[in-house]
Amino acid sequence: MERAEARDYNDDELMVVLMSREVRDGEVSACGALSQIPAAALLLAKELHAPDAELIILNTVFRPFGTSRQFHFFAQRGELGLFFASGVQIDRHGNYNLHQLGRDHDRPDVRFPGGYGGGLIYYAARRTVLFRTEHTRRSFVEQVDYISAAGATPPEVLRLGGPSKAITPKAIFEFDASAGCLRLESIHSPYSFEDVRENTGFELGVTEAAATKLPTTGELSTLRGAVRQKMIETNTYGGWAERMLGAASI
Amino acid sequence: MGVPYVPVIGLVGSDLLKRRDDMVVAADPFGGGKVSVVAKAMRPDIALFHVDKADRHGNVSCGYQVDAVILAEASAHVVVTAEEIVDRITENHAVGAFIPSILVDAVVHAPFGAHPGGMAGRYAPDKAAMQEYVSASRDDPSFAAYLETHVFGPRSHEEYVERFVRHASSSSFPREAEPEKT
Repeated sequence: MERAEARDYNDDELMVVLMSREVRDGEVSACGALSQIPAAALLLAKELHAPDAELIILNTVFRPFGTSRQFHFFAQRGELGLFFASGVQIDRHGNYNLHQLGRDHDRPDVRFPGGYGGGLIYYAARRTVLFRTEHTRRSFVEQVDYISAAGATPPEVLRLGGPSKAITPKAIFEFDASAGCLRLESIHSPYSFEDVRENTGFELGVTEAAATKLPTTGELSTLRGAVRQKMIETNTYGGWAERMLGAASI
Repeated sequence: MGVPYVPVIGLVGSDLLKRRDDMVVAADPFGGGKVSVVAKAMRPDIALFHVDKADRHGNVSCGYQVDAVILAEASAHVVVTAEEIVDRITENHAVGAFIPSILVDAVVHAPFGAHPGGMAGRYAPDKAAMQEYVSASRDDPSFAAYLETHVFGPRSHEEYVERFVRHASSSSFPREAEPEKT
């Protein structure tokens, strides 16, 4: 496989920019704890196209609520427009796994901390954008080993929203709610359709895909300037921002 | 909340539901044909948690640990360990969440009680101690040895702090407590 030429941004910055474009002005958008990439994406969107977006970044100063109970019921009321979530595994049906690896649920090979509120928010936020920094066959699988939250549910299930996209350093998938599966939407140059197919553990659902609109110099300079500074000043994953935003490419 | 069960939007179709007998999928009793998870209330016998400040009557200023309020309300008995015991705390003085003494059974003065975890505004997580814990937990004998040294060994909390909390008496102890992936 041909190695990509050095780009002038790294994978984290690419993910931040692509995810920031999912934020809509005037909506409430949120991410959980341990979420530096979504946090940066939310802050970037607010600097650029969504000045009136309300942001919730848990465990930081960008947190309007005191207790998780308030956040829980806010989400249950359907007031979250967008949520960012990740999983160790993500499958074709939009299921994600944050619990454990191995087919035998009683004897897992590896256990993870599990989901906090994600298994609820995935059904309550209007849209959830999944993200995964590793795009390989072990992270994008046909069927997750353990369903922490389901992408699609029968129509009688009370549900206010679900997955809308999955974003990786190689591609963007869109979730087809009527078919209940992820489908390749676009590919980030320099990766090819073959690269994405080789690294995805399920059928892509299409035979070709558009090229992703890559980060612009405007987006990157705002990210490395205003957003980086804000993250450091407000201690919002400041260490990560200092290290990764504006760091050497790839 | 104190109610015996509560409906929640979420979790239907997850493997978690298969393993929990305190959550079921139930129909909306008011009609409409929709179903959702109904979760049984948790009612712990005792809640034990660490906070920033408490007074001798049991009024508590939680600081950053605001979700302790939920624990206190849910549990039959509440024991609080605190970084600092002060003369009097009212809701107006509380930083973060306030827990009134009526919910609290006992208060214990335990500086560095969150160690090796951190206490926002006071001290950062002790990463070296955390790493020691993680390494020790890889197998049973090493974990048993860890427990012997760190948990069963010290005769008092003061002795634990003296032996295992680095910089306990130093003003240079790092104050930053940023949650971050490593």
